[in-house]
Amino acid sequence: MKGRSSLAYFFASPWIATFGIFWLFPLIFSLYLGFTDYRLLRPEFNWIGLDNFTRLLGDAAFLESLINTFIFVFGTIPLTTVIALLLALLIERGFPGRTLFRAGYFMPSVTSLVVVGLIFSHLFSRGGYIFLLARICGFDPPEYGFLLSSRTALYSIMAMDIWMSAGYYMLLFLAGLKAIPIELYEAAASSGAGKIRQFFHITLPLLKPVALFIIVINTIKSFQIFIEIFVMTRGRYGTSTAVYFIYETGLNRFEFGYASAAAYILFIIIALFSLVQFWLFRKGQIT
Amino acid sequence: MTVGFLAALIMWQGCSEGEKDLPTGPITLEWWHFWTDPDIRPTIEQMVADYETANPNVKIKLTDLTWANGHEKIVVAFSSGAAPDIVELGSDWIPEFSFNNQLAPITAAVLADTGAYYGWNPTIHKNDIYAHPWIMGTRVLFINRGLLKRTALDTNFIPLNWPDLKKLCYAVDSLGEDIYGFGSNAAEKHRLYKKFLPFFWSMDGAIFGYTDRFAGFAGDQAYKAIKFYKELHDSCSLVDSQRGLEDAFLEGKVGVIISGDWLLKRIKKENRNIEIITTLFPGPKYPGKSFLGGEYLAVSAQSPHKDEAAKFIRFITAPERQLQFCRANFSANPSSKTAAADSFFMSDPNLQTFVKQINLSQMPPADPQWVNIEDLIEKTLEKILFEKAPMAETLYETNKKIQEYMDKNK
Repeated sequence: MKGRSSLAYFFASPWIATFGIFWLFPLIFSLYLGFTDYRLLRPEFNWIGLDNFTRLLGDAAFLESLINTFIFVFGTIPLTTVIALLLALLIERGFPGRTLFRAGYFMPSVTSLVVVGLIFSHLFSRGGYIFLLARICGFDPPEYGFLLSSRTALYSIMAMDIWMSAGYYMLLFLAGLKAIPIELYEAAASSGAGKIRQFFHITLPLLKPVALFIIVINTIKSFQIFIEIFVMTRGRYGTSTAVYFIYETGLNRFEFGYASAAAYILFIIIALFSLVQFWLFRKGQIT
Repeated sequence: MTVGFLAALIMWQGCSEGEKDLPTGPITLEWWHFWTDPDIRPTIEQMVADYETANPNVKIKLTDLTWANGHEKIVVAFSSGAAPDIVELGSDWIPEFSFNNQLAPITAAVLADTGAYYGWNPTIHKNDIYAHPWIMGTRVLFINRGLLKRTALDTNFIPLNWPDLKKLCYAVDSLGEDIYGFGSNAAEKHRLYKKFLPFFWSMDGAIFGYTDRFAGFAGDQAYKAIKFYKELHDSCSLVDSQRGLEDAFLEGKVGVIISGDWLLKRIKKENRNIEIITTLFPGPKYPGKSFLGGEYLAVSAQSPHKDEAAKFIRFITAPERQLQFCRANFSANPSSKTAAADSFFMSDPNLQTFVKQINLSQMPPADPQWVNIEDLIEKTLEKILFEKAPMAETLYETNKKIQEYMDKNK
């Protein structure tokens, strides 16, 4: 028995070593750094206790980036989820050319985020199609384009993100819809239940686990929003998010200690949200 | 986690550096540089080969850096004890390294050069010199003469002051719907502030005040400079990235842009059929001041061959090598005054404009916090130009933050 478990450890050791070196150690070490004033180019550093954390709580740039992150998370997740569900229901109904539509909606998810970001930067710019369309529709877009105004920049990136992610979550919902037994609908129909009642009493409850899974992974992803911001605005015009702040602090200003503290605050926020969602998930399963 | 991993890697690398054995035989100097352009790389290699021939006991190992991530690579290398012997640094980066004792003082080796070169300001820290100016970079006004000829102005009109510049831009702007008087930079990092500061400096403004004790970015000079710049920006400008502005200028859609000698090189390389005038930067009164930056060569404090590295730097920055470099790269910004007086620059009026402009240009303050201050100034400009933020209040807020950075240094 002992020999078998040693063999198991032996085979698992590459993964354990990788996990230890590239995940666990940096995780613990960055926590340690969060309590120091370590910055690159200055080899000596000191333990400064909670100073980085208290400084962060009074740092307007960090607080702004945190607020922007929350706006992004709470602004995109409900819309993405609802749109993905509607698209899935539409595709699932079956109509000529639905494979084409399904592939079309999914296409943005497999396109490079950098490419999409660059394309949307042009679309949102003065003279871009979205800008012109807004004008034709009678809106008053910002003079120099949507991304050069703090009134619209963050919301424009959010709109792009919704467009980009909805197709992927649509596929997950489609998988969920396929798993619902057809007999349930037949039984409901024979009992006189209409389509709307079937949706609210069969489809929606049975899609709950899929919906919660989508919300959990989308929440984690949205809290870590970075590439879009980096490509489209470089954190300007009120679009700096928590991860962008960490990037700027750590890799532009080289304040590793301060950046680590910010990363841990974000880590705690994501962990708390995930715990709440898992709790809801479990509660949903029981009921 | 990425931050943690990187930090751990840097520290580990730093700790293990002490175990390195010094090589015996000919010494190898590692030189990190940014000139990867195929037009200039062979010239760099040729200079290195010439040096190795003249100094058989020295081998030079060239390592290419890119502007996209070169700064990060250099910082990480210095922090982890793996710095090259010789490194090319942008003028804005030098204080960051010299203030943190990462560069070796080369005062004794280059003292004789101080009167013969431009641009020593960022290299000096605590009465020592930490880098040698190599190739400078300034900006001048580019005027599309084809568009100028279509206006009612004289075909040789040169803006000598701000009212002239405004007159020229407005005249070109009135030529048609798709033609703009002035090219104004959009929010591009590290670019916008370089376009505005010449206006501020031409008003005799000083970011760190005249005594280096109180920030001077909220005074009359800053207000008048931003007011003038904004007027051009709002009334007759195409707003685009630097590359976009240069494209539009070359296509005859913009009358006046601020650009560097790379545009001359581009016009030559692409064989553009365009008639241009380059002229010195105007101020409220003639002449104004432009922005001066540049490329410098420095010796790492970690290098075991500091004297040899300093000797190599003097070789590369010597007037004849600068000329060789400028001819190959069609650059017009030598740091050597002897090189600047060469007939190569004097025979071309556009190259001559650049050489003259170096004398009438200013460098940002040499300060380790400059990278942050530059970012503040850029954000201020974006707020005022693109978001119509009130000028005086925004400048006042920025000034307060600059003062905080200055106080940190104290």
